[in-house]
Amino acid sequence: MNTCTKVLAAVLILVFVNPVWSAGSEAYKKGTFGKIHIDLSNKTSLQRGAKYFVNFCLSCHPAKHSRYKRVADDLGISESLTKNNLIFTDQKFGDLMTVAMKREDAQKWFLGIDPPDLSTHARAIGPQAVYEYLKSFYADDTRPFGVNNLHLPNTAMPHVLVNLQGLQKAVFRNETDKNGKEHHVFDKLEMLQPGSLSEKEYERVVVDIVNFLAYLSEPAQLVRKKIGIGVLFFLAVLGVLSYFMKKSYWKNIH
Amino acid sequence: MSGIARGLLGWIDARFPLSKMWREHLSEYYAPKNFNFWYFFGSLALLVLVIQILSGIFLTMHYKPDAELAFASVEHIMRDVNWGWLIRYMHSTGASFFFIVIYLHMFRALMYGSFKNPRELLWVFGMLIYVALMAEAFMGYLLPWGNMSYWGAQVIINLFNTIPYIGEAISEWIRGDFVISDATLNRFFSLHVIAVPLALLALVVGHILALHEVGSNNPDGVEIKKNKGADGIPVDSVPFHPYYTVKDIFGAVVFLGIFSVVVFFIPDMYGYFLEHANFDPASALNTPDHIAPIWYFTPFYTVLRAIPDPFGGFVGMSLAIIVLFFLPWIDRNPIKSIRYRSFLFKINLLIFAVTFFVLGYLGLNAVTPLYSQLALRFTELYFLFFIVLWTYSRSRGVVFWISSFVILLGIITLYDVFINTSERTELIWQTWSIPAAYLVITLLLPFLTRLGSEKEVPERLTS
Repeated sequence: MNTCTKVLAAVLILVFVNPVWSAGSEAYKKGTFGKIHIDLSNKTSLQRGAKYFVNFCLSCHPAKHSRYKRVADDLGISESLTKNNLIFTDQKFGDLMTVAMKREDAQKWFLGIDPPDLSTHARAIGPQAVYEYLKSFYADDTRPFGVNNLHLPNTAMPHVLVNLQGLQKAVFRNETDKNGKEHHVFDKLEMLQPGSLSEKEYERVVVDIVNFLAYLSEPAQLVRKKIGIGVLFFLAVLGVLSYFMKKSYWKNIH
Repeated sequence: MSGIARGLLGWIDARFPLSKMWREHLSEYYAPKNFNFWYFFGSLALLVLVIQILSGIFLTMHYKPDAELAFASVEHIMRDVNWGWLIRYMHSTGASFFFIVIYLHMFRALMYGSFKNPRELLWVFGMLIYVALMAEAFMGYLLPWGNMSYWGAQVIINLFNTIPYIGEAISEWIRGDFVISDATLNRFFSLHVIAVPLALLALVVGHILALHEVGSNNPDGVEIKKNKGADGIPVDSVPFHPYYTVKDIFGAVVFLGIFSVVVFFIPDMYGYFLEHANFDPASALNTPDHIAPIWYFTPFYTVLRAIPDPFGGFVGMSLAIIVLFFLPWIDRNPIKSIRYRSFLFKINLLIFAVTFFVLGYLGLNAVTPLYSQLALRFTELYFLFFIVLWTYSRSRGVVFWISSFVILLGIITLYDVFINTSERTELIWQTWSIPAAYLVITLLLPFLTRLGSEKEVPERLTS
């Protein structure tokens, strides 16, 4: 390798390990509520997540690119269990997970916003965003549903999990920056009215939902890496063989 | 070969030049024996082309070019089609890898002077392939009908609006509508799956025929045909088959390994290969936070944004691509390979490579006062590279170096005084030092030092 090659390689590495993240809300720092760890091998978590999802999310948010049957097959849920526990409408086992609600109704109820389709939107924003969103609802009387959200300020969505989590209050404080400017910044969340779950139990519910959404946004994840390891193993063997084939052909060329 | 096979081959050869083509292009195509790492990318580009065509055929079986159905049909491929996710990821990853391979292939040509006499037409064919590839990638990017597809296409097509008088008519003609719509999607689909691939294949055939007519260059830049043996075969050569076929097979396996790591483990490449906003469907009402073209276009996108006048930006961006076509007539230095060219040539080429990366990085990010000045400076470096390359074509006198230095730095300074503006004025003069330093290194050092001296080119290949 000449110098040119080496420097080029260094620049390539530098550019590709430098991630471009879009900036979030400035009211609070991202990651304040911890980091989600996605574990798709945890089938029971995914199954619980599916249950919470159809109970709390699917009445408004469609997952219209996903089929009940696919979810059931991937998560190891039987057809009868699915029909009795996951499908609340007259939909069939092989149907797409759409919602009965009309678009016009949704827009009327949710400040003109169509609840986004969670089979793809969850991937667009990423699991960490969903996780922080579900944990950062707080009481705000100025909002139509009485709640606001730190991750997505002025969200149009009500806090559907309020009975589980309880209602939180956001505490803000004033901070002066280097330029002497005052900022109203987020300090912490305090519990106003406790819900039916403890903080730890609620955390588990959120993790299950996010875990399920991470699966739902790309079901191929369950097999993709496993197949990838097989492919790489095959290519490694082929690589060794082709290397020696090249070497043996070239042994007399100087 | 058995008797039957020989008979069959004879029957075919009497009617079609099968053995003749095999000999001319493979078993008796004599290539220099000293190809290095950089010479893998030609055959790899062909491999990626095959991957794209094959995966594309299967995607087309399930994709629906209809604004109402396109987004859902891609998700259908990802979920309901057997192995659909693999086919789709191969195609989306293949697009990015195509550009990685092509950029390395082009850089190889810059390093070893592979575009020089007698390979000018070979280079022009290659550039036409590159432009066709950009069109192919751009139109393919609209097809998933995600929100970034929609807004990215919106921004790019609107570029044509900046052409005086006829601009709006042109962009309307491209879209087939006043806005990006079903009509646009349909025609982009047609162009993406039929028109451009046909042109690409024809150009690739032309590229290879031109290559085999003149023979391959090599890392020494020495013409092997000048040293032929008694049998008329170049002494420093090996027949392409089997020597380079077995070598390229090894290269292809290594490449497929890297390709598979992306396809199976990081198919979105942290948002570089599949942009996150594209997992939301196209929506005319919902603009993504930050519209950035996909990474392989961003160097040129930065050139576009560096020039405040919209039409000027459009012209600048086009020139940045067009100038590459003229490389064989810009770099007139008879020495081909970087190995025997001056230290300053190496520095110039290195700065050009870094410039390309910086332009690409800036194009991925939102404009800030600093980034906008840097975009201008690196755009200047991009174009100055070609001028400096031209000055290195032969030895020059002190007067030439000093006057070109004064003229070029003068033009840049005049631009800063009369046209360049920034919210933070100090940035203009701070970043002015970038092109100034570049010109000091490339135009003053040739006569102040001996860094501009070239090495003697050997008669035959060295390694």
